[in-house]
Amino acid sequence: MTTARAQLANELISGASGAVLAVFMWGHMLLVGSILLGRRGFDWMATQLETWFVAQPAVVGIFVLFLVHAVFASRKIPAQLHERQQLTQVSTDLQHSWTPHLDSKLWLWQVRTGMVILVLGSFHILLLAVDVLTPLYGQHAGIESTTTLGRVRAGLWLPYAVLLLCVEFHASVGLYRLAVKWGAGALLSRRTLKRIERALFWLILVFGALTLMVLAGLLDPPLEFLLPPATQ
Amino acid sequence: MSRRLEFEIFRLNPEDPESEPHTDRFEVTETPYMTLYLALSQIREEQDPGLQFDFACRSAICGSCGMLVNGRPALACRTLTSQLPDSIRLYPLPVFRLVGDLSVDTGSWFRQMAERTEAWVHQKLPFDASAEESRMSDDDAQAIYDSDRCIECGCCVAACGVANIRSDFVAAAGLNRIARFMLDPRDRRDESEWFEVLSSDQGIFGCIGLMACEDVCPKQLPLLEVHAYLRRRLFASRLVGKQTDT
Repeated sequence: MTTARAQLANELISGASGAVLAVFMWGHMLLVGSILLGRRGFDWMATQLETWFVAQPAVVGIFVLFLVHAVFASRKIPAQLHERQQLTQVSTDLQHSWTPHLDSKLWLWQVRTGMVILVLGSFHILLLAVDVLTPLYGQHAGIESTTTLGRVRAGLWLPYAVLLLCVEFHASVGLYRLAVKWGAGALLSRRTLKRIERALFWLILVFGALTLMVLAGLLDPPLEFLLPPATQ
Repeated sequence: MSRRLEFEIFRLNPEDPESEPHTDRFEVTETPYMTLYLALSQIREEQDPGLQFDFACRSAICGSCGMLVNGRPALACRTLTSQLPDSIRLYPLPVFRLVGDLSVDTGSWFRQMAERTEAWVHQKLPFDASAEESRMSDDDAQAIYDSDRCIECGCCVAACGVANIRSDFVAAAGLNRIARFMLDPRDRRDESEWFEVLSSDQGIFGCIGLMACEDVCPKQLPLLEVHAYLRRRLFASRLVGKQTDT
């Protein structure tokens, strides 16, 4: 394989893995959002995913994809400190110019959030892998609301809040950039694409924040009334 | 009441070993429809005859008056002072070799880019002076004309984060030039030749998608669309080329 072909392959791997992870994150948010229905909703969802063997391969597959994305997407990060300083200088100048240009600065924030996600995301995925694959925490192998709520309340809400903010930012900006790179700008204007990016960011962030507040015990599950009363 | 504009202008004469990089301050009274070019001419005329900056056409066609205006690359001749705040910082474009003060040598950069991308029509036919010129469809001609509107001012190069840290990157102007010849039906270079020129990290895959090039382009060229076209074309040629790979 020539270097030129390798470059194309690298570009495709980093873009496609990022797109899959971003879409996965939205699905993941919806599934965790089952806590909005209360603990019964959450436990039912977890049991379904584990009984049908969705959760077990997903936790392994996503971790692999996560690492692949980290390796291939980071190939563009400048290695030398003076290069980073120059890049920051150019982006900051353009951001504060008389007609502000933000997209360069957003790329730098994608790098920064990416680094945070690499650390906190690895921790989160490995913790959940232990939950899903081993009976170490809780009564049996699998995600259980008692364990999860207990952990989040005990202090995990803080790293999770940071992770949520970083992931939603990284994913929405990343998808916007990917769309422009491959030519979505011919179908929708960049202004429209940017609006979609912002809307997605806020939508998922608010949903994620509500979910996290319920998990942390700061909020009662707002949709619990939707479930039929528990039969004893 | 017209504004007093305060200019902070970068000064350095690389030819003079005594010269140290610094900035000088000048004050100019704003006049209606004043451009930066007019303000600079007035400063040179009335305050400092040694101030170096380039201009030729004064109408955004020659591409010689590109400079950093409050950190943003722009043409001095088409930037109205009314768009700007009272204090204006002028620096030479980065990436290019400094001639002196605000004057940079964009020519050498564009020449090496054109040589590397072989930016000319490769007909691969013996020259026949008596042959009729080949015809071209209106759509082709229009597409090529759009890319050819580039005036090589270097604003996109100076605004590019990658071009700022890697001297071998062909940047938006270079990629636009490659696209121009790719679109040209007279150019007989095949996909594999394009692939090697373009698909390295000096070419399209060196681009990290910062998008500043299109935002600062004084000719409003659709540079991001050009880049997307190149990416798609390379991807498609890879899919087709796979069968003949050994």
